Amino acid sequence: MIFLALIFYALWAVSLRYDIWMFQQNSYMPSRYYTWFKSDWLANSLSKGLLSPPKVPLVWTRRVIRIVAVSVALGLLLLSLSWKLGGTALLVVMAVLVLLLDKLLVVLANLILSPVEALIRRWYYQDARRILDSHPDLVVIGVTGSYGKTSTKNYLYRILSEKYNVLVTPGNYNTTLGVVRTIREQLKPYHRFFIVEMGAKQPGDIREICRLVRPTVGIVTAVGPMHLETFGSIENVRRTKFELLEALPEDGVGIVNLDSEGIASAKSFPCRGRLLGFGIRSAEADYKAGDVRYSPNGTSFTLEGGSDGRVVYHTPVMGEGNVLDIIGAAVAAEALGVEVGARKTGVSKLAAVEHRLSISTRGGITVIDDAYNSNPEGAAMALDVLQRIEAPEGAKRIVVTPGFVEMGPEQDRACEEFGRHIAEVADGLIVVNRLNRDALCKGAGSMGEALYIAEDLREASAMVARLALPGDIVLYENDLPDSFK
Amino acid sequence: MKTKVGLLFGGRSVENEISVVTAVQTSESLDADRYEVVPIYISKQGRWYTGDGLLKVENYRDLTRLLASSSEVYMKPLYGDYNLYLNGGGLFGDKVVATLDVILPTLHGTNCEDGTVQGVLASIGIPFVGCGVLASANGMDKITMKMILRGCGIPVVDYFWFNDKSWYADRDKVADALEKTLKYPVIVKPANSGSSVGIRPAHNREEFFEAAEYACTFTTRIIVERLITALKEVNCSVIGNYEECEASVCEVPQRSGEILTYEDKYKGGGKGAKSKGMRSTKRELPAKLADGETEYIQDLACRTFRALSCDGVARIDFMKDEDDRRIYVNEINTIPGSLSSYLWDAAGLPFDKAIDRLIDIALARSREESFKITDFGGNIFKDLGKGARMGKFSK
Repeated sequence: MIFLALIFYALWAVSLRYDIWMFQQNSYMPSRYYTWFKSDWLANSLSKGLLSPPKVPLVWTRRVIRIVAVSVALGLLLLSLSWKLGGTALLVVMAVLVLLLDKLLVVLANLILSPVEALIRRWYYQDARRILDSHPDLVVIGVTGSYGKTSTKNYLYRILSEKYNVLVTPGNYNTTLGVVRTIREQLKPYHRFFIVEMGAKQPGDIREICRLVRPTVGIVTAVGPMHLETFGSIENVRRTKFELLEALPEDGVGIVNLDSEGIASAKSFPCRGRLLGFGIRSAEADYKAGDVRYSPNGTSFTLEGGSDGRVVYHTPVMGEGNVLDIIGAAVAAEALGVEVGARKTGVSKLAAVEHRLSISTRGGITVIDDAYNSNPEGAAMALDVLQRIEAPEGAKRIVVTPGFVEMGPEQDRACEEFGRHIAEVADGLIVVNRLNRDALCKGAGSMGEALYIAEDLREASAMVARLALPGDIVLYENDLPDSFK
Repeated sequence: MKTKVGLLFGGRSVENEISVVTAVQTSESLDADRYEVVPIYISKQGRWYTGDGLLKVENYRDLTRLLASSSEVYMKPLYGDYNLYLNGGGLFGDKVVATLDVILPTLHGTNCEDGTVQGVLASIGIPFVGCGVLASANGMDKITMKMILRGCGIPVVDYFWFNDKSWYADRDKVADALEKTLKYPVIVKPANSGSSVGIRPAHNREEFFEAAEYACTFTTRIIVERLITALKEVNCSVIGNYEECEASVCEVPQRSGEILTYEDKYKGGGKGAKSKGMRSTKRELPAKLADGETEYIQDLACRTFRALSCDGVARIDFMKDEDDRRIYVNEINTIPGSLSSYLWDAAGLPFDKAIDRLIDIALARSREESFKITDFGGNIFKDLGKGARMGKFSK
């Protein structure tokens, strides 16, 4: 009997640990948990996933411990009740049920604990608020947008760090909870600026973060058709992003990218403070950028509109989208009091992320490495750079690409379109592997003999070595494997 | 929330006690609204302690008792771990006394100012005030300091140097080589001692033998310099970093004999002088110098500071040869006594503001280092099978 009990407890421990782990993987959300469970209910009941566990391990946070404790308590309660009411027979039945269905226990435990969790969250929030209150001189900058917010945040961080101590919310901490955590764990008295990236899963999210951090400068990088399932319409997306502008005080500064269609089409901007628009193509921009030039050394552009007249910036970062993000950061830096010399130096030290439109010269050949890009917008931006980059007379522009992956039904059409665009811009195309070979070749058919086929990246690289001469430019575009160098 | 400053002092050097004085003075001037001071005392045996009693000079009269009532602590040399741990006693791992934000070393002398402690801090990655490893090591060694300054066109007095092994192997050979380079009188110094320890003048070969023998008991590297007989000493402090630095006013420290001795430096002055360290040394402040000499020295001081890539506050000691009126850089102290607060007071920079600046400089260096590339990622071992051999890469 005791032997059986021990086996039961051992099995229960294994099962419970797995179920908690999966609950954590699903962000403690019962709806997502259920979706996961449904996807293979038999295997998941038997905890088969333990045989090939996911890469992210279980983190034993205090919350996890609380859920485990309550789940165990519930389970023991059920077992003792069933023994009391139905003796050994019912006990055994209940034990088996517990093993198979303890996911329900986990969800129930989570539900029971939810007021506790809410109290804890509120305590952390108020603690963060208290910490911010003890820092009256701290200047908070909010950054939001459908895309470009992480890049803009990082660019601004680099520019401000030339002269100041700056705190920035790390990678994926763009929720209220993430911001609370950043404040409690990383904010120091010597920080002068705090850059907060604000993400929104639904309307009101950004307003909530702003209520906590009270930004005085806000940057809206773009409004586009992302997550339309949750938001419903572009107007709703815009309204949500503009919650940042709404939160700015009268002496604050709102900075918006007028090259973004979703922003430029707004009828009004709910900003009490100063509103500054920037853009390369927009005619209404307060800060107009122009003369964007690409060369093997990087990009240069001019920016006019501030109190320094026309300023010329140089940077290793390439691509119009990235340049727009830099401009947003530069405008913010100026509004924050960073003088022109420090802004220029900061911008010149920005680093292109490796394999994301990074540029280098090897043996006289200019290589544009966009191997990690994975979407058509990025590819279009890369082709734009390829087309415009300064090169000696007669230089060849060559594209090496496997096309796009994981686009589902859209893939063939997108690759064909990509092929057409390449034919307009490039002097040579090397198609890597078979996946999108047909679609790409169809679109780029007009290239005739300048269209090459390679089985894999190694063969493609060998072709480049044969074809490219010093002065030529080679673009490696899209989803090229990790070992790519 | 205040910035937690680990005030690191004491050390395994002859200047352990002086360092206590510097530390106490510094802790009194740290703005209590912005900083929380955590004292960390390094005993002469090299053990680390913390405790409130460590910041009262009177308690050091009975060191054994003081240490017994303090707690032994340590830091782990692990990158990113800024915790100060209590040594021993914890059931599930040692308790954290404090998580520090920045270290302020006020240690003087060997094992303190020469990059050893700085190396530990740099390994941990915690921001710290003062020179980094390179500047500390070069600044501490009189030989390398002179080599670097000479290479930058900064005037230093003629010198000769040797290793104690050469000395013990063939004393006459070393003396002969010296005499080919320099004329007596000379001054013989251990290359890396602080506070004038082990230094002896030599007016002839016999005295040189004695002085060299004496110096070799302290160190392995010995420097011999031309002794300036009509000597005027002038000190000047510099605060800042490579990008921006400024010089203080100059002072002339007073001395009793031919050279400024340990006694002069720390035991001169009136009542209470013993506990006041460099502050109580008799001095002429500001230095009465000829026209243009102050500016010349201040400029040389900044150039020296930059040439050695210093950070924080340093004091550069100059020698003027009254006979030919030439001015030379004698040595640099990368963690000067009392952090040269008296020189900066005279220059109009009060000590508490100076400390603010020092901490800002430390944070700025840390920030700058965080943007420098130290790793290209990737793993050469992964590619090893594909034709790259250990030690030689295939084309």
